[in-house]
Amino acid sequence: MEMPATPNGFRIKITDKVADIVFDLNDEKVNKLTTPVMEEFDGLIKQLAGTDDLELMVLRSGKPGIFIAGADIAEIADITDPVAGAALASKGHRILDRLVALPFPTIAVIDGACLGGGLELALACTYRIATDNPKTSIGLPEVNLGIIPGFGGTQRLPRLIGMPKALSMILSGKPVNGRKAFKLGVVDAVVPAEFATEKIAEFAGYIKSAAGRKAVLVRRNSRPFRRWLTQDNALARLVTANIACRNLMKKTKGCYPAPLKALEVIRRTLGMPLAAGLAVEAREFGELAVTPISKNLINLFYGSEALKKDKGAVIDGKPRQINRVGVLGAGVMGGGIAWNFTKADIPTRLKDLNWEAVGKGYEAAANIYGQLKKLRKYNQREIDIKMHHLSGTTDFSGFGNLDIVVEAIVEDLDIKRKVLAELAEHVPEDTIIASNTSTLPITELAEGLPHPERFIGMHFFNPVNRMPLVEVIPGKETSPETIAAVVALSKRLGKTPIVVQSCPGFLVNRLLLPYLSEAVMLLQEGVSPKDVDRVLTGFGMPMGPFTLLDEVGIDVAHKCAVVLAAAYGERMANATLLECMCEDHHLLGKKGGNGKGFYLHQGKKQVLNPDLPAIVGDWREANNISPRQCSDDDILDRCLLTMVNEAVRCLDEGIVADPVHLDMAMIMGIGFPPFRGGLLRYADELGAEHIWTRLYELAEKYGDRFKPCERLQQMTRNQREFYNETVR
Amino acid sequence: MKERIAIIDGIRTPMCKAGGVFKDIQADQLGAWIVTELIARSEIDPALIDELIMGNVGNPTHAMNIARVIALKAGLPQGLPAFTVHRNCGSGNEALTTAAAKIQAGDGDIYIVGGTESMSSMPLLYGPRMTEFFANLVKSKTLSQKLGVISKFRPSFLKPVIGIVQGLTDPVCGLIMGKTAELLAREFHITREEQDRYAVESHKKAAAAIESGRLAEEILPIPVPSCYKAVQEADDGPRDNQSMDALGKLRPYFDRHNGTVTVGNSCPLTDAAAAMLVMSETKAKELGLTPIGFLRGYAYAGLEPQRMGLGPIYSTVKALDRSGMTMSDIELVELNEAFAAQAIANLRAFDSDEFAARYFGRHHKVGAIDPAILNVNGGAIALGHPVGMTGARLVITTLKELHRRNCNVGLATMCIGGGQGGALLLEAA
Repeated sequence: MEMPATPNGFRIKITDKVADIVFDLNDEKVNKLTTPVMEEFDGLIKQLAGTDDLELMVLRSGKPGIFIAGADIAEIADITDPVAGAALASKGHRILDRLVALPFPTIAVIDGACLGGGLELALACTYRIATDNPKTSIGLPEVNLGIIPGFGGTQRLPRLIGMPKALSMILSGKPVNGRKAFKLGVVDAVVPAEFATEKIAEFAGYIKSAAGRKAVLVRRNSRPFRRWLTQDNALARLVTANIACRNLMKKTKGCYPAPLKALEVIRRTLGMPLAAGLAVEAREFGELAVTPISKNLINLFYGSEALKKDKGAVIDGKPRQINRVGVLGAGVMGGGIAWNFTKADIPTRLKDLNWEAVGKGYEAAANIYGQLKKLRKYNQREIDIKMHHLSGTTDFSGFGNLDIVVEAIVEDLDIKRKVLAELAEHVPEDTIIASNTSTLPITELAEGLPHPERFIGMHFFNPVNRMPLVEVIPGKETSPETIAAVVALSKRLGKTPIVVQSCPGFLVNRLLLPYLSEAVMLLQEGVSPKDVDRVLTGFGMPMGPFTLLDEVGIDVAHKCAVVLAAAYGERMANATLLECMCEDHHLLGKKGGNGKGFYLHQGKKQVLNPDLPAIVGDWREANNISPRQCSDDDILDRCLLTMVNEAVRCLDEGIVADPVHLDMAMIMGIGFPPFRGGLLRYADELGAEHIWTRLYELAEKYGDRFKPCERLQQMTRNQREFYNETVR
Repeated sequence: MKERIAIIDGIRTPMCKAGGVFKDIQADQLGAWIVTELIARSEIDPALIDELIMGNVGNPTHAMNIARVIALKAGLPQGLPAFTVHRNCGSGNEALTTAAAKIQAGDGDIYIVGGTESMSSMPLLYGPRMTEFFANLVKSKTLSQKLGVISKFRPSFLKPVIGIVQGLTDPVCGLIMGKTAELLAREFHITREEQDRYAVESHKKAAAAIESGRLAEEILPIPVPSCYKAVQEADDGPRDNQSMDALGKLRPYFDRHNGTVTVGNSCPLTDAAAAMLVMSETKAKELGLTPIGFLRGYAYAGLEPQRMGLGPIYSTVKALDRSGMTMSDIELVELNEAFAAQAIANLRAFDSDEFAARYFGRHHKVGAIDPAILNVNGGAIALGHPVGMTGARLVITTLKELHRRNCNVGLATMCIGGGQGGALLLEAA
C-alpha cells in the first residue's frame, strides 16, 4: 500500500507489515525539522499507531548524503522568550515520546548527515543503522550555537551510550562517522552504503527473533561494570562531571555557557526518570536560546554559510582551474603557503635565491606536517606523498606552465616590484600573480606589470596551518576572473577567503595594529603587560596583545606599525617603545633573536621579562613621560574602541563589503572571540552613542587618536546600528 | 637507419654513500623526487607521457613494482602505466633502451626513464634455519609442541643473511664481484699500485668537476628528510685529497693475503636516482623541444660470469658494429669503474691486437681509449655506483660533457654483474 506524499515530503509505503517512511523535504536541499515537519511527523505516527498489523517501521531519507541535518536554526534564532523556547522543546519531546511508544519496533537508517534534532529523532527509534558513506556524520553540535540539545539529546544519548561517551559527543559538538558511531554504541549496526537495502532487510529479519533482539541489547550494554563504575552511582557521576568541567573550563575559559549547561543538565538528570529529565532539558534549552551569546553564534553560523557561497566576484562560468602553482620565497610564510598547496595535492614549485633558503621552505612545510602527525591527522605515508608535490628551484625553470604564482618575499616595495617584474617575464601571459604582502598597496605593486588584471593580493596569516583567513585584495585593474579564481583556490586550500579593498594594512592588520600599538602605549605609561593581557583575555581574546606581539615578532609588528603610521598619520602614530625594544635591545619576541620579548619563553611558562621595567623606565626618561595608572575599563576600551573606530572607517571607505565580512575576518584573522559575535556585533551591543561618548572621553584623557570618526558621529545622531537588520 | 631517440632532459640526485645522508630515503622516494623535478622543469604536460620505465636492482619489498610507485608518488596521472626493468648494474641503461625499442616499434612516443637505488636499504634477512624455526612455531598447535620447537632454538639461527653481500655474489660462478676483479687483475697483470693510481686519478677528476660546477649541472639538490634541516647539493664520495699513501694503507678486501682490490680502489655502495625524458626525434621536433642529445645505437653482450668486468669491450664491439662505427668515431667515453682493476683491464683489452684476435676474430685491436677522453668528470670509484641508477647517470653525464666540449659522439658503457656488458652510442644535439 502506498500513500500519497504529505505536504512536507514524507512518503509512506506499507508492504508486508513494514511501514517504509522516506523523508524528502519539499523544495529544500536538506531535511530539517521545522515545526510544520514535526507536526506532520506527529500525525504520521498517530496514523501508524492506529494501523493494525504493522510489525516494523523503517525511517529513511530521500536526500543523498543527508539523513536529517537538524532542527530549523531560523526557529531557534527567533526565540526571544525562554518560556516559548522551553515550549518548543517540550512539543518535540511529546512527539518523540509518541514515536518511542509505537507498538512495533522502529529503525532509523542513517545514510548521510544526522545532526542535532536529526540524531535526537533517531535516538527515539528502537534501532539505528548507519552506513559507512563518507558523508555519514552523526552528532549533537548544538553547543556550537550556544544552546543544548533540546529534543531529548541530553537524556537519551547518555542513557544509551553512557555518560562519559555522551559527554564527549555533546560537549565537543563534534560529529562522528558511521564506524565510530557503531563503536560508541550510538548505532546498532554499520553497513556498506551500496548494500544498505539488503542489510536493512537482514537486520529487520534478525530483530524479529528474541535472540536477535537480545544480542542487540547485550551489545549496547557490553560493559556493565565499567558503566556502573563511571555513571551508575552518584559519586561516579560527580567525578566524571568534575573532570569534564575542568577540561571545559580550560578550553572555553568559561566564556561559553552552553557546554557547561549541557554538562550540568546531564549530571543532574541522569538518575531521574526520563520525563523529569526532559523537563529540565526543555527549561534549560529555553534559557540558553534567548542569550545574546547564542544569537551571536547563530549569526556567525549564517555568516560562515554565506561566506562559503561567496564567489568573490561575478563571472561567467566557473572559476579558472588551478593545476600547478609556484611560490616565490621559501621563508616561514612561503614554506607555510607551499605546505598548504601540497596539502591540497597541488604540484608546487618553490623558488628562492639559493638552496639553503629553499631547504628552509621544505623544513617549514615538514614541520607543519610533523605537528599534524602528532595530532594523528596524517601518517608518514600520507605525509611523504604530499611532500612529493613540492619541487624546489633557484631559477625560473618550471615556471612556464604555472597557473598561479604566490609571491612571499621580503616586505619591501622596491624589491617586490623588481622581483614581480622579473617573474612576469618567466610565466605565461595568463598566469595569475598573487602577492602575500601584508601591508603594501596592491595597485602600487601592480604598477609596471604587463598584466595588472592578473595581479592580486592573497594575504595568508601566520601560522598558515592554523589561521583560517585569507584576505583577497584586488588592485584597481584586477579582473573579476582573477578574483574568482583566487577565492575558489583559497577555498580549495581549506581557507575562508574574504575580499577586501586595497589600503595600507588591508583590513585585519589595519585594525590589529592600532590595538597592539595602544597596548604598547599603555606599557609606555607604566601599565604592566600582564594587566593588559589579563583584561583582554578576560574579554575573550585567545591571547593578550603582548603575548601576541611576542608571538608574531616585535620586529615584524614594528615594521608594520611604521608603514601604517606613514599611511594614516596621527591616529596610528606608532608606539616608539617597539623600535627601542627591537633595535636597541634586540628583543624580537618568541622566535627571533634571543627568544626574549615582553615575556621570557621557557617551555610553556610565561614569565615577564625582568629587563622590561628598566627598558621602559629609560624610554620614559628619554621621552619625558611620567607614569600614570589606568583602570581596567580604560585598558579594555582603549584597546578595543580604537579598533571599532578604525573598523567604522573601513566600512565607510568600502574596504570590506559589510559588517558580516568584517566580523568574520576579525574572528578568523585575529581570533576575536566568537561568542561576542564579532567586533561590530560587540559595537552594536555597546551602542553607537556609548562608543562615541567613551571615545570622546578617551580622546580628552589620552590623546586625539581616539577621536570618533565622522561615520560614528552620524550613526549616533541617527541612532543607527551596524547590523540594522538581522542578517540571514 | 632507425630513428634516433631524443633525450630532452636528464637529471639526478646527488650520489651519497650508503648508510649516510640518504639512509632514511627509500629508493621509491628518491625516484619520485627526481621524476617530480623532471616533470616540473621540463614543463611537459604529463598527459602526453606514454609510460614510465625505471631500473632498480635491490627491489624494496614495500614497492614491488617500484616504477609504478614512483609514477604515482611523483604525481603522474593514474592512467599512466609504469614498469620496472632489471639488468643488474645495467638497469638504468635498460630503462632507456627499452623505451627506445618501444618507440621504434611504435608502441609510444614519450617516456620517462631512469634508475633508482637505495643501497642503504638492502635488508638483513633471516637465514634458512631461522625461517624454518618460525615456520615450525606457526605450525605447532599445542603448548607442548610449541615448547618443543622453542627448545630447539640456537643463537646461531640469528646470524643474518646480508642482502647486499648476497646480491653482489654471482650465484652461478659463486664469486662476489670483488673476486671477479681480482681475476681480471691476474689475467691482465694489473698491480695494486696501478689500481690505486687509477683510483686517485678518479677522485681528482671528480673533485675538480664538483669544484668547477660541472656536476652541479646534472644534480638536483635534495633537502634531506625527515627533518629537512640540511640540503645535500653535491656527491659526497669524491675526495680531492685522496692519495697513494692513504690508499696504500688499506688491506685487500676480497683476498686478504695476495689480493690487490681494496675498498679504496673499488666503487663504494651508494644511494641515488636519475631520470630522463625521452621521445622520438620527430616528436621532439613536433613539440618544439630542444634535446640535450640522442641515443644512436646500443648493444648488450654476455660473457663468462667470472669475467663480467670485461662487459664494456664485449658490448662496445657489438654496438659499434651494429651502428657501422669504429672507436675512432668516439670523442668521449664514460666507462663505469666498478673496480679500478676492471676498468684498467678494459683499457688494455681495447688496446690489444691479441685480445681482439682471440675473442672477436679480428686482425686489429678494437681501438685504444685516450685517457684524456675517459671519465673526464671522475668515475664510480669516486662518485659511487648506485647499481640500478648508474646506467642513467652515465648517459646524462656523457651528453652534458659532449655539449660542453662541443663534441659529437660519446660512448657510455659498463660491466654488468652476472657476466654482461652494455654500451650506448650517444650523440650531441
